[in-house]
Amino acid sequence: MPAKLLFLVMLLENVLIGGVFFLYPWIVRKGLLFGVYVGEEAFDSAAARALTRRWYRGVLAALVVSLAVGSSLSLATENPLALVVPITIQVLGFFGLYLWAYRRARRLAPAGPPPAAVAPLVTTPPPNPLLPALTIAVGVACGTFAIAYAWSHYDALPASVPTHFGISGEPDAWRPKSIPTVMLLPMMVLLLAVGLGGMAWLTANAKRGLRRFDKGASLAAQMRFRTAMTRFLCGTAVFTSAMLTTMSVSIIQVSLGRASALGRWEMGLTGLLMLWAIGGTVYLALRYGQGGSRIERAGVTTPLTDGLADNRNWVLGMFYVNRNDPSFLVERRFGLGYTLNFGNWKAVALFVAFIAAIGALVIVAATTN
Amino acid sequence: MNNDPTLTLDWATGEPVYEQIADQIRDRIAAGDLPPGHALPPVRTLASDLGVNLNTVARAYRQLEEQGFVLIRDRAGAEVAAPAATADPDSLERLRHELRDVLQRMRQAGVTPDEIRGAVESIVARTDRAPRR
Repeated sequence: MPAKLLFLVMLLENVLIGGVFFLYPWIVRKGLLFGVYVGEEAFDSAAARALTRRWYRGVLAALVVSLAVGSSLSLATENPLALVVPITIQVLGFFGLYLWAYRRARRLAPAGPPPAAVAPLVTTPPPNPLLPALTIAVGVACGTFAIAYAWSHYDALPASVPTHFGISGEPDAWRPKSIPTVMLLPMMVLLLAVGLGGMAWLTANAKRGLRRFDKGASLAAQMRFRTAMTRFLCGTAVFTSAMLTTMSVSIIQVSLGRASALGRWEMGLTGLLMLWAIGGTVYLALRYGQGGSRIERAGVTTPLTDGLADNRNWVLGMFYVNRNDPSFLVERRFGLGYTLNFGNWKAVALFVAFIAAIGALVIVAATTN
Repeated sequence: MNNDPTLTLDWATGEPVYEQIADQIRDRIAAGDLPPGHALPPVRTLASDLGVNLNTVARAYRQLEEQGFVLIRDRAGAEVAAPAATADPDSLERLRHELRDVLQRMRQAGVTPDEIRGAVESIVARTDRAPRR
């Protein structure tokens, strides 16, 4: 039964992800078609509309195929590896479809000189300047507490400690006690909290992209979007810190035999985090649109500028690469939120260091007996 | 936030980027769009918005500071400087020299004295709109 339930959860997740993919062309900034700047006029052309219609049909087809395969697998096997098949079909379908649409959209891109770069000569203070700092402080406090708690109970722990929990909250995998095994989650609390809080700070200070001749309307819309996105990321970081900290404490309690399973707090916080993440993403997409596109002045016709409009700086419409640009984060062209400037070695080094630190923690914990 | 002044870089002209930045900020100050005390974006923010190197913006700001158009405030950025109440004799002499140089080049390029007067008057009229100390 739990395996069937997990399949159901995965299929539901598939529908949600399919829904988000479906939304993408609907929330983009006007002028950007599948990661390509085609200009505001071409964006409304019959060719662009036909391409978007084919995208919707393609996403729907990928969703139907992944759901059909997922349903068949749920009846045929209880192998947990089968759980990832539907989502893999969905994601591969999305990328295949995106690359196809991107290549088609390239044909609509205007020829000629690169678009002008435009910047407002005003300072716009980062939204909620204290919020990312407070989020990092909360994360550090949670992480430090989780590490101290695990450390202070280390000697009393039995020879084997639980390392995985089933959907009911009861442990279903154990490993021999070792410092890496016991400290993995507490260290992860610290790392993820600082990483997510740092991302919120970088988002608040990301590159500003605006339209020409619109008297600041696009800048105002973008700053509202950025404020909401920063709050969303800070909330995600705080929920994650709280959830992982309570889980970390609970694992120690289960290891010591003081509890038989994860408690209501951990399960409740996990559910709350999922609701926050899904609800927040959908709210940001529907209320603001990417970069505030949905609250920009209606019927906008003024052109986008450099960061978003210069096709030379984008690889496959997904990766922003500009060595001259000191920005760490820039607005995505397709999708919701921000992406890294892969031309800035500091930004890339920070990203690689973060991923490497998480990877190293997991590998050390998995290989230590 | 409406009617915010903006700065535009045209990649097609051969003019160096730092000069385009300095020219446009000077024009905005002279026209009164950027009043004394107006905070300009910090170097990093402006470089990030324009997608250009930090040193390019820093060079433009330094040039504007040397010419008395802006005051640089460490990491916080720069603000528009108020015009001097009276002209410093040394500066005046140097600027007269530069003006004479430009006028001579205009004459050499075939611009008539009347056209020069018209151009000068229109520039003076435009800069007169800017607030003064």
